[in-house]
Amino acid sequence: MPDPIIVLENLRKAYGATIAANDLNLAIPRGEIFGFLGANGAGKTTTIRMLCGLTRPTSGHGFIDGLDVWTDRYKIRSKFGYVAQKFSLYPDLTVTENLAFFGGAFRVPRETLGARIEKLLTQMDLVGKRDAMAGSLSGGMKQLLALACALVHSPPLLFLDEPTSGLDPVHRQQLWNLLYELGTGGTTIFVTTHYMDEAERCTEVGFVSEGRLLAKESPRKLKASFKSKLLELEIDPVMPALAALRNAPGVLDATLRSGHARIYAAEPERLLREWQRAWPFPDLKWIGHEWVEPDMEDVFKAWSQGYTSLLDRTAA
Amino acid sequence: MNIRETWHAIASVALKEFLHVWRDKRILALILILPPFFTLLFGYAFEATELTGVHATIIDRDRTEHTAKLAEMLAKKKTFAWKKTKDTGADPDLLRLGVSAAIVIPKDWTSTLEAGTPAPLKLFLDGTDATSAEELEGRLREMLGDFQGQENVQELTVKPLLEELPSEIFDALKTMKPEGRDKVKVEFQKLVKPWQPDTRILYNPKLRFIDYVTPGIIGLILQLLTVTLMACTIAREREAGTLAQLIVTPLRRVEIVIGKVLPYLGISLFLIGITIGVAYFHFGVHFRQPIMLGIICLLFLLCSLGSGLLISAFCHTQTQAIQFAVFYLLPVFPLSGAFAPIERLPDTVRLVSDIFPLTHFCEAFRMANLRNADISFFAGDLLFLAIGAIVTCGGAAWILSRTDA
Repeated sequence: MPDPIIVLENLRKAYGATIAANDLNLAIPRGEIFGFLGANGAGKTTTIRMLCGLTRPTSGHGFIDGLDVWTDRYKIRSKFGYVAQKFSLYPDLTVTENLAFFGGAFRVPRETLGARIEKLLTQMDLVGKRDAMAGSLSGGMKQLLALACALVHSPPLLFLDEPTSGLDPVHRQQLWNLLYELGTGGTTIFVTTHYMDEAERCTEVGFVSEGRLLAKESPRKLKASFKSKLLELEIDPVMPALAALRNAPGVLDATLRSGHARIYAAEPERLLREWQRAWPFPDLKWIGHEWVEPDMEDVFKAWSQGYTSLLDRTAA
Repeated sequence: MNIRETWHAIASVALKEFLHVWRDKRILALILILPPFFTLLFGYAFEATELTGVHATIIDRDRTEHTAKLAEMLAKKKTFAWKKTKDTGADPDLLRLGVSAAIVIPKDWTSTLEAGTPAPLKLFLDGTDATSAEELEGRLREMLGDFQGQENVQELTVKPLLEELPSEIFDALKTMKPEGRDKVKVEFQKLVKPWQPDTRILYNPKLRFIDYVTPGIIGLILQLLTVTLMACTIAREREAGTLAQLIVTPLRRVEIVIGKVLPYLGISLFLIGITIGVAYFHFGVHFRQPIMLGIICLLFLLCSLGSGLLISAFCHTQTQAIQFAVFYLLPVFPLSGAFAPIERLPDTVRLVSDIFPLTHFCEAFRMANLRNADISFFAGDLLFLAIGAIVTCGGAAWILSRTDA
């Protein structure tokens, strides 16, 4: 890989007996939008905090631009912007005061800071709110302001910790459009999320579960790692059907998708043949079936639940 | 390292920190109203500490011309509000009599007085408040001294003394010239007069307590505000999550510390100005060596702000920080010598007193202001404050640098 901007080497963080990040190895090239996908408590935030030099790795190393994320943490701080999971700007300062403060803190020259703030206000669509207190903004605007503050020094790398959690779909769309724009401009973006649709927008996705990195590939390749199509059954009533199917032999799991029961099984064709021959649930009415393409959620589920029989591990 | 960039970074932090105070109108009102209000309150409280109108009674069991005169003299003193009470014959029950002090003149006191060996008067004092009791005792002693000094009483006590002298002395006196005789008389009188020192009071000649207590008032108010306000600054950021945001900026710990201290230092200096103004214009307290006092105040403030910052860096929430601040401030009140000389405290406790910045501030301030002493008399106190400022601010920066924000 040519000149990665972020490199993780056996990076580990343990809080007592709990291992939040378990020997992570990862290299992220410049210009990538890297999505770190995992459930709550999977170790996403811990990893991002280690990379930002906010918490000390228990063992292993992380490098940004070849500099150690802990021992050289003072040197690399001008190289990245960080948007925390929780809103962490000053609510009693106005939009421009927040921007001016972070501009000063990031040592943006006084001569260019004014123009930079104006540009960010326009870009984030916050011009009309420039003198509003940050605390009075809506959730979406707060997040846009947080992004603006993280970008005030035009960093080549941006860390975002679940930037869209709690946002309405309009602001989510707006935020992702901005991230695309930045990505196009050459900024490397490291974003954690637990939204599958957001993962599909990344150039590369890393699956993390219980502190371990399970896979890292482009969304297309990750989906290709799924061996077959998925079987969906239309059954009435559907809720008791899910419970029954989950306990059926040969079924790993069943979930509800658009009113249908989606089946995870190692050999779905064989199951379908068996059920067509003898439907084992007389109380449940089988209306029909169809084959669907796995989406990101299915892939993530398979990887994180360890459904190895469903996956072609060589593909990812 | 670019000086202009550094300055810009510090100024950004300082402005932000100032805006936090400026925008919080309740805190702002508190900061602006409290110091002058407390100065007035404390000023009045400590301006006159003389006890007046203490309820007292005289129980006269002798009832002679002399005891009547003594009672009359005592009645003139404003320290006491005299009450007439019945004599039960037993020791007076202060609570039942409704008084704080009772003097019992024993039977046959006049005759013992005439014999030159006056029986002691019995004094009963309410010792609930130890200082007042001590003061009352002193006041009564003073009054009895006055009584004794009166001519006729003196003669009463001198006469028996004269009678005891051998007759040879009188014979010798008769042979002396009148001037010589007068000289002997004066010397003799001096001998029997109660010894009275010729006292001159230096440094605070009017013995005004307000002059003594002014640094205590300034120090306490300023310490209260600086420590509590400062204690919240980092803890608030930690609680709100902005500390992480602050730490990922290239701001150096020193820049954060200086930027946070500066606005509070400015506010505190302004408040000292107000406090001194009230003390000067309203209570007529004079201030000598203004530049030196300024330096003392500055070092004290830095030390106080540093203590607050250290508490703040150490605590995880504002609630914790306030609790720590209160427990830090509490022992300072009785032990720092703000309102009473620490010389009254036992040595071991004074070791504790010595670690409070306020103790050194009061000492240095009084040296410079009341005693008009030069710096050599309080250089140690200044050094303590300077080291305290460096250690506390440095400690806060150190905790910040190793923080898992």
